[in-house]
Amino acid sequence: MSKDLQMRAAINQKLIEMGERERLKELLRAKLIECGWKDQLKAHCKDVIKEKGLEHVTVEDLVAEITPKGRGIHRSNLKILVPVLVVHHSYMVSGCVEASLLQQINYYDNIITLLQLSSFISDPH
Amino acid sequence: MKMEAMSLSGLDNTKLEALAHDIYSDLVEDACLGLCFEVHRAVKQGYFFLDETDQDSMKDFEIVDQPGVDIFGQVYNQWKNKECVCPNCSRSIAASRFAPHLEKCLGMGRNSSRIANRRIASSNNMSKSESDQEDNDDINDNDWSYGSEKKAKKRKSDKNPNSPRRSKSLKHKNGELNNNVNTDPYKYNYNSGISYETLGPEELRSLLTTQCGVISEHTKKMCTRSLRCPQHTDEQRRTVRVFLPGPSASTLPDVDAVVESDGYDVSDGQALMNRLQWDGSSDISPSDSASSKASTNNSDSKKPKKKKKPSLGLSSSGTGGTGGGTGGGPGTAGSGSSSQGVLSLPSRKKKPKLPAPPTPSIYDDMN
Repeated sequence: MSKDLQMRAAINQKLIEMGERERLKELLRAKLIECGWKDQLKAHCKDVIKEKGLEHVTVEDLVAEITPKGRGIHRSNLKILVPVLVVHHSYMVSGCVEASLLQQINYYDNIITLLQLSSFISDPH
Repeated sequence: MKMEAMSLSGLDNTKLEALAHDIYSDLVEDACLGLCFEVHRAVKQGYFFLDETDQDSMKDFEIVDQPGVDIFGQVYNQWKNKECVCPNCSRSIAASRFAPHLEKCLGMGRNSSRIANRRIASSNNMSKSESDQEDNDDINDNDWSYGSEKKAKKRKSDKNPNSPRRSKSLKHKNGELNNNVNTDPYKYNYNSGISYETLGPEELRSLLTTQCGVISEHTKKMCTRSLRCPQHTDEQRRTVRVFLPGPSASTLPDVDAVVESDGYDVSDGQALMNRLQWDGSSDISPSDSASSKASTNNSDSKKPKKKKKPSLGLSSSGTGGTGGGTGGGPGTAGSGSSSQGVLSLPSRKKKPKLPAPPTPSIYDDMN
């Protein structure tokens, strides 16, 4: 597991250095707004706020409420964290958005080199 | 993509996909966090609920779906049948006609001043004494010459009887009860003509210089239309001018000076035109000086047309009326042709074929 985490960290760092992470982020944001994901989530926010009272809402509350929904995971299904399954169980993010993003990510030749790099990292272990 | 993945050493597809998914979910989580921060800031700053309206005000602006009413709840032709009371004349006017009525009633606006001027002009023209005419000149304040002022005014008033606007303006003047009595007899006079018996010699002369003047058999009135009115021929006009006044009234003779175009050079024609202009503008005495000048100038080129010159002299003097009349006929034709293009026109010599309209047109153009 730590190998994976390391790999993930390495990849993320590489992406940031390349500047591609920013680009991917913007792309994702645009796509989410387009498909209405942001508005749905905002409506959910309003419910939470009305529930909790306008004055006493904290960031943590919001994050705790919103993030799982945004990622398409119910609190009850938190154990199903396998990314593949995430794809199938995400009901908030439309399939096409995810697919296009994944395509974007997968097309990176650099990822292959990254993985090669990570394999080197993992190998000594 | 998959092929490339396969070529990798020690890495299978699923791992690659898993990695991609990890990256993707990281990105999504970042987006969620971004949204949370945004909302939280909006809540704390107080602008989160700004784009919403409360239910009560929403009800005020609901779309109305009743018959006879638009979606805002307004009735369409609510003001169509309403009547307003005019503050000036205290009459009840329909709403859609209120604005034009007010314009006429108060005497403000473009049309009212125009109509008033016309009425003043007509009342001045109708008056018989000379002093009135002079008043007219004073009022006019134009830079034109003496006679042309009156001509211009008379032309204007001549146009009126024929236009449809006259009847309309009459209708709208209902509020001005005073003027109605005055204007009606004027209108009647205009349409039918002027009685020549009531006019003085000066008046007659000025009238004849601008208007047709032919006396109608039925009504014994002079035609007030323009010099080229299609109802009367030049012969008739000539007759009237000979018949009525003594020494004056010789607008047509000036036209005669042009003579026929046979043997006419273009330059001569133009010289003649210039002369005519000079003649036309000096309305004061259309007779002797003008005719003499015309005759002297014409003498060079117009040997065959000698008869015209004496006719001119005759008409100006007023004695050889008939001779002038006959000479004037072809002369007028010739003048018309020369104005257009000089050369051609041997056929124009014949009297019956005289085109009446062109002749006065030259004369008009001069003035």
